[in-house]
Amino acid sequence: MANRWLGFVTLLVFTFLLGPLVIMLVSSFGEAGVLQFPPENWSLKWYANIFQGSMFMTAFQTSILVSFAGNMLALLVGLPAAYAMSRFQFKGKAFLQTLFISPVLIPGIVLGFALLRYIIVTFQIPVYTALFIGHTIIMLPFIVRVISSNLDNFDFSIEEAAVSLGASRVGAFFRIVLPNIKSGIIAGVLIAFLESFNNVDISVFMTGPGVSTLPIQMLTYVENYFDPTIAALSVLLMALTAVLMFVIERLVGISYFTKK
Amino acid sequence: MKQYGKYLFLLPGLLVLTLFMIIPIAGTILSTFFDAGSFTLAGYMQYLQDPYFLNILWVTLRTSLLTTLICILLAFPAAYYISKCRPRMKMILLLLSIFPLLTSPVVRSFSWMVILGKGGIIDNTMALFGSDTSISILYTPTAILIGLVHLFLPLSIITLVGVMENIGDDVVEAAKSLGASASTTFWHILLPLSVPGLMTGSILVFVGSFTAYTTPALLGGRESVISTFLYQNAVTLNDWQLASVVATIMIVLSFVVIGIMNWLAGKVAVRGGNIRG
Amino acid sequence: MSHVSLQNVAVAYQKTNILENFNLDIPEGELVSLLGPSGCGKTTTLRLVAGFLQSHQGSIQVGGKDYTTVPVNKRNFGFVFQNYALFPHMSIFDNIAFGLRQRKVSKKDTYTKVMEMLELVGLQHFENRFPKELSGGQKQRVAIARALVINPDLLLFDEPLSNLDANLRVSMRSEIRRIQQESGIAAIYVSHDQEECFSISDRVAIMNKGVIEQLDHPAAIYHRPRTSFVASFIGFKNFLRFDRRSENGQKPIFYKGDSTFAVSYEKDTGSMTGVIRPDDIRIKPAGPPVTENELSGTIITAIFLGRSYQYEVKTEHGSFTANQEMTIPFQSGDSVVLDMPPHKWVLVEESEVPSYAG
Ligand SMILES: Nc1ncnc2c1ncn2[C@@H]1O[C@H](COP(=O)(O)OP(=O)(O)OP(=O)(O)O)[C@@H](O)[C@H]1O
Ligand SMILES: [Mg+2]
Repeated sequence: MANRWLGFVTLLVFTFLLGPLVIMLVSSFGEAGVLQFPPENWSLKWYANIFQGSMFMTAFQTSILVSFAGNMLALLVGLPAAYAMSRFQFKGKAFLQTLFISPVLIPGIVLGFALLRYIIVTFQIPVYTALFIGHTIIMLPFIVRVISSNLDNFDFSIEEAAVSLGASRVGAFFRIVLPNIKSGIIAGVLIAFLESFNNVDISVFMTGPGVSTLPIQMLTYVENYFDPTIAALSVLLMALTAVLMFVIERLVGISYFTKK
Repeated sequence: MKQYGKYLFLLPGLLVLTLFMIIPIAGTILSTFFDAGSFTLAGYMQYLQDPYFLNILWVTLRTSLLTTLICILLAFPAAYYISKCRPRMKMILLLLSIFPLLTSPVVRSFSWMVILGKGGIIDNTMALFGSDTSISILYTPTAILIGLVHLFLPLSIITLVGVMENIGDDVVEAAKSLGASASTTFWHILLPLSVPGLMTGSILVFVGSFTAYTTPALLGGRESVISTFLYQNAVTLNDWQLASVVATIMIVLSFVVIGIMNWLAGKVAVRGGNIRG
Repeated sequence: MSHVSLQNVAVAYQKTNILENFNLDIPEGELVSLLGPSGCGKTTTLRLVAGFLQSHQGSIQVGGKDYTTVPVNKRNFGFVFQNYALFPHMSIFDNIAFGLRQRKVSKKDTYTKVMEMLELVGLQHFENRFPKELSGGQKQRVAIARALVINPDLLLFDEPLSNLDANLRVSMRSEIRRIQQESGIAAIYVSHDQEECFSISDRVAIMNKGVIEQLDHPAAIYHRPRTSFVASFIGFKNFLRFDRRSENGQKPIFYKGDSTFAVSYEKDTGSMTGVIRPDDIRIKPAGPPVTENELSGTIITAIFLGRSYQYEVKTEHGSFTANQEMTIPFQSGDSVVLDMPPHKWVLVEESEVPSYAG
């Protein structure tokens, strides 16, 4: 009996969670210039509309470029940090661990504003570069966290074995440690990528002539038009998200999300 | 390895964080306490007496609290159900919860515009029943609340499923073997043991909805919450002094909430013993 | 001249000294094991020799070469880890070949050597498997092969068998001994299993708190512990501190209260503490008056051990533990006489005896 009731609540919860997304998916195929559910006539023209004009395409390129470059920089500085924090004991470790996670603790909108004020205005860094820096900062915690949790399960005597057999420290890292945490690194990179690609809070402060990420471009569009183009674009983004989610699940398993 | 060698690994990351996070944030916070070089609290005095600002603060706090509460109420039974499912079904339901979590907040908030807006589904349905005035809850605090619950419910569910899986069947079976009914087991074993995880989840939801920008920006219209207020002042009105004050208030409130909840969770965890040895 | 020589080395973790003025010499081809209670510094010693830790004083020499500051990867010592530490992402072949590849050995030679090693450790046809497809014992063989194939100047084992079940441990240890003797490479072997150390080693070093209390052949350690710590560690449960001694011709007599004990020894160290194993005490029913090397007492507890009974006997000089095979055992409360023959007594130097050993 209790189970029936629970099942019913669960059904409602998932309807609430997924219903709007499904409705949007269906409406995106409508022909009319306003969103209808269910649509009277069907069409793919709003999907075509996304690729018309450079508005979304340029923003998409910017988003990809910023997320990718930021990801690489975050990996470059995050990987050695995660390694040291798992491998060594040293003073101030707990503090440093918190520090590397702290970009997710600071409200995004606050960080965005602070970056606008100091990076762009005070330091006079160009908007594009600032965008890249901002995204590096927000990706760092995700990279460090996923890699750290992988390294914490790594048995470092394996690395020592390699060194005792003649490998250099650097060689042992690349040939022994890295291959064993590879899937964790890829998962970290993908999760960070999604986080950055979907980011609004930082990017919204960092727009300029010709510089705007896809989510910001979508926000701007919605303010002015209410046709199904955004619905169509949303559907494409959901497809991308679904693909990445399955890849992450393959790599580190679903438990990454449930065990924090 | 020499002691300093270890810090070398952290140096690049520390450099990036110092330059592009610590300095900007610290600068923003410090700037609110100085006016023309002298220490002042005038900024705070001014805005903490301004009814307009206080109202925004109140609306934001109320909305975040309600969001947290609704998320717990909905997530708890769902998470309990999911944790009891067979592995295959559990996997599917978890993936269905993770998917919205990874989906862009813009997309998710927009999907509610489709439903709540003028000419949206609710509006159309009302028209069907003969209501001639087109009503719309889009651009109201209720719309923000719905959007935020939608945004944070997956996080609550997933956190709680994690917690319940950690409780483990042995405890539940022990209770049952001692003659506890399903409902006794739930109220006296599962619920108390879930409290620390529940708190962690609630911190995330509360702080998240308190500082969320995208959802209120899309669904709130002219109705401001603290984050959209910060954005307006910073970008539209160019009032950096006010924006910095708001930013500082947001940081302080977030950290106070995190601190209090962590402290509470710590107390509960100590008293209840930690789950899984 | 010894092959391995540690002179006055010292290691400290966070300012706590773990090893101080530590010395150890090992001749060519010899296997020395380090035995001691948990936390006494066995692993630390081994990691120091391997080069994972640095000594801040003294020197480490192997084969006449100074290794004190040579980094791990330039040492050419084979290290066998407790948890095997096989490379999970490499096949067995690649695991064993790893060290050869670091040394730029030709492809052909690598192949031949790896195959030889697989044969030596009895794992022919396993080369294409991965570590997770092997049993614990097989993994340990691979680990040994991997350490051996580089033709190391020294082999280091850190509790290599402690993750295996009891039967496998026994067969693996004789295999390790066989391989070590065949290759003739000196080895340091850490374990806290006494029997394992005694059966496998040329000599055993008993360590206590970062100090070697005795380094000797297994039988010598077993029969002639030098200190009270070593004695208690290897099973001498009964300690008696004598009051005085007198030289009576060739036979020294020790006194404790009214009791007298004749004790035979090889070398007179002037020590006044005698130890004796539970197995070496004979228990007789009380009857005729007690004579030299006898002590009367009362049974406190009797525990059935299988082959024998273990008795706790209360005497005027404290309680004694004695093992005896019997068909009709004593009961607690029985009055008995303990017979402790002169040649079973060992005189030891006083050293700190850890509490668990009593
Ligand atoms: N990384 C470390 N940091 C601080 N202290 C350490 C560290 N490693 C070991 N120690 C300390 O050094 C002492 C010796 O440790 P070691 O590992 O050498 O003991 P062991 O004889 O191998 O013990 P076991 O039989 O338990 O393996 C112990 O007191 C231990 O607590
Ligand atoms: Mg050890």
